Amino acid sequence: MIARAQSATLVGVDGRCVTVEVHVGSGIPGFTIVGLPDTACREARDRVRAAMLSSGLPWPQRRVTVNLAPTSVRKTGAGLDLPIAVGVLIAADEVDQAAADGCAFVGELGLDGSLRSVPGILSLVDAMVARTVIVPAACAAEASFVEKHRVLCARSLSELVEAMCGRGDWAVPIYPVDDLVDQLDLADMADVDGQHLGRRALEVAAAGGHHLLLSGPPGAGKTMLASRLPGLLPALGPEEALEVSRVHSAAGLSLPSGSLIRRPPYRAPHHSASMTSLIGGGSSAMRPGEISLATRGVLFLDELGEFPANVLEALRQPLEEGVVRVARARATVTFPAHFQLVGAMNPCPCGEGGPEGLCRCGDASRERYARRLSGPLLDRFDLRIFVSRPTAAELFSRERSEGTGAVAVRVARARGVARERGVRCNAELPSCSLDDFVPIDRSIRRILERRLNAGTLSARGLDRLRRVALTIADLDEDGGDVRPEHVTTALELRVGRDALTGRRVA
Amino acid sequence: MNTVAPVSKLASDIELAAATASLPAMTPQRLHKLAEATRPRRRPDPESQSIEPADWAGIWDGVLAGRSAAVRLARTALGQAGSGVASPAAVRLARQWNEAAGRSRERSHPPGVSILVRGLEGYPKALEEDREAPEVLFCQGEVFDPGRLAVAVIGTRTATYYGIEVARELGADLTLAGISVVSGLASGIDAAAHEGALTCFDAEGGSRGGVGRPVGVVGGGVDVVYPRATARMRSRVAEVGMLVSEAPLGAAPERWRFPLRNRIIAALTPVVVVVESRLAGGAMHTVEAASVRDNIEVMAVPGSIRSPASSGTNGLITCGAQMVTSASDVVCALERAGVAVPCFRASAATTARTAGASVPSAGVQLTTDEQSTLKAVDHSPTPTSAILARTGRPLEVVTLALDHLSEVGLVRDYGGAWGLMSAARS
Repeated sequence: MIARAQSATLVGVDGRCVTVEVHVGSGIPGFTIVGLPDTACREARDRVRAAMLSSGLPWPQRRVTVNLAPTSVRKTGAGLDLPIAVGVLIAADEVDQAAADGCAFVGELGLDGSLRSVPGILSLVDAMVARTVIVPAACAAEASFVEKHRVLCARSLSELVEAMCGRGDWAVPIYPVDDLVDQLDLADMADVDGQHLGRRALEVAAAGGHHLLLSGPPGAGKTMLASRLPGLLPALGPEEALEVSRVHSAAGLSLPSGSLIRRPPYRAPHHSASMTSLIGGGSSAMRPGEISLATRGVLFLDELGEFPANVLEALRQPLEEGVVRVARARATVTFPAHFQLVGAMNPCPCGEGGPEGLCRCGDASRERYARRLSGPLLDRFDLRIFVSRPTAAELFSRERSEGTGAVAVRVARARGVARERGVRCNAELPSCSLDDFVPIDRSIRRILERRLNAGTLSARGLDRLRRVALTIADLDEDGGDVRPEHVTTALELRVGRDALTGRRVA
Repeated sequence: MNTVAPVSKLASDIELAAATASLPAMTPQRLHKLAEATRPRRRPDPESQSIEPADWAGIWDGVLAGRSAAVRLARTALGQAGSGVASPAAVRLARQWNEAAGRSRERSHPPGVSILVRGLEGYPKALEEDREAPEVLFCQGEVFDPGRLAVAVIGTRTATYYGIEVARELGADLTLAGISVVSGLASGIDAAAHEGALTCFDAEGGSRGGVGRPVGVVGGGVDVVYPRATARMRSRVAEVGMLVSEAPLGAAPERWRFPLRNRIIAALTPVVVVVESRLAGGAMHTVEAASVRDNIEVMAVPGSIRSPASSGTNGLITCGAQMVTSASDVVCALERAGVAVPCFRASAATTARTAGASVPSAGVQLTTDEQSTLKAVDHSPTPTSAILARTGRPLEVVTLALDHLSEVGLVRDYGGAWGLMSAARS
């Protein structure tokens, strides 16, 4: 007899429908799984058998063959345990095929028959075409965010069999205990003393979605500034929230209790990060990298100069396209990568390079350090500032700095202005529309011409500069068009390589 | 091996001298020792002050013919112990020299490179009588002798903005006065001095006439570019002036060559100006080399007493070195040394500064914002954040004011920092 059960498997961050076919026939008793399972999936054989026996369900003493269709897609993880078990039960006449029709199953089995959660529930459930989905009780809350299906859940295999046969009730969803303190609430702009330039650059970055590079001596407050950026960003819209939650779910990260991820994510990987961990991929399952986990949020790379050069260069293409296509021999997967990049670095190995003239580095070592920041990568940072240490007067000042709340209001208003132009933020404005939104009058032209002739501004840099100037104008209380002072401010927030690497100053 | 024809019949003294300098294991000191041993006594003629060239052909013929005196001399000079003419080492020496002779004939005139030999035509007069004079000089560019109309402008490689600007100004002003600027083409002050000198020449190598031609004295071979960043400047200097080195062609810029190079810079010029230097460093080597020679005046540009980059130069002034506040101080020193400077006229910026001018360019109207911003900028590069804090005005206002101030030439944009131009504020 042949039984069928619907399910799904994860390819990258997307779900793919899988039909589990179970054949129980005559022959030497045995259990085989075919249809390109990975190791975790192949081991379902032992988990399913043990789970059924310890749940008091009969195991057919015949030849059992499980096929996972379509056979060309690699099935990963233990999420197919439950549909395989259901298939065997139907084939062994313990459950009616009719009870399983119109249902899709996903879940991992414990040896005692308990049902455990699996990563990527959001994407898996999203991909399922069946009207009803049956999941472990621990994932039921997450599964219901998709809002396309009737979500049923059970805590164990025996409970599920009872419910399917109409002898018992479905379980009540379990909401995970949220043990994560929201870090964002702790990081307030009011804690940043002084740093007028840094605070300003942060506000412009938040309002325009511009990539930001902070260079400065250790202890100047670069990390402190960067960690305050997500607090300034507006909350995610419903589509963005689902997109971000899907990626986090697929990576096996827990979602906040009872909701999708509503705040822009903030990811700060250590500089020992490998190419795969940052970009995505992996040998067995294709896992999203840090840049995808930071999608619609902030990717903060502290000690930018210490990251391996090839890892940094790999960021260039996703920065331009907003997606990353990871190609492997087995599959090519597209991950979202709409992140805002914030980098922090020291100007030189000793860290003291800069206008103060305290650097103790040799020429060669400073050159080598400066070279790590390639021209193409540097070009992609619209905002580049040198952060000096706050002075004692600023640190002990009684004057309280403006808090995150007040700045976020201005940011939200500027983003609202940008939305009227048909983009999420000014950084996404296409070059062809710049002439409409950032017209260049005579006085602005004079400012720009001097920079272009001196070679401190390039043609590509000009476009990026105009977007930043537009954001600064949007933040201006007076509103209106881009004026010369907005352009000079944008120029000041975009200093060249020499200033960032503290060169030519003893 | 005695069948070889005497090389003296096949190659000129210049080629043989260059081939000797290019031998493996040859150093400037060994070459000097070898040359001194074979140099003919000075002619009795009291009129002639010049040094006789060494007997290069004699050395080569002797070594290649296996004459014991010549081989002994050559091996002692090359630091090889033992003296047996028939020993394997001596045979090896002869073979080595033989090969070198063949090579030198093949490339006796590499394109663009001339060879100057002490005692022969073209060798700089200033070096000829020096007690550590290089026996052979390799030159790139059109050979000329700056004579006494030359000034060395040297300093640290890790220079400050201040030092770089002063070195540029001196380089340009001295060149305009017809003085050759001599420097080591290192990064920092050396490069800035030549950068300034090169501003007096247009792109085709033409000049406004009567200007001094720069001389770059490099540590490695003249065909070995080091440091890489100065590649373009080296070729420009070779175009309008010349590059000089005692290291043979292709010689790597090894560490030990630089102190030796410094003595040539010092010996070439009657005046050495140190723009910025720490208490110890390459520039101080040059000062030492200058002070042990007669008739070379060491001058220094003063700096802030707090600046570590000026600690060496300020120390020199404390010890009695003349202070340099503009190119005219250097010109005065040259004139004291009996060198006539043809056409000195200080540049406008220098004149304005030395006259203590307080108002920059007449007719520039400044707004109150611009005036208060100008007050917040120091002579040394001031970070924008500091200007913001001092003025207490919004970033937009300050940057717009700074943009206008830099347009009229009152402040300079250093990228993230701004500095007052020389004549902007009294």
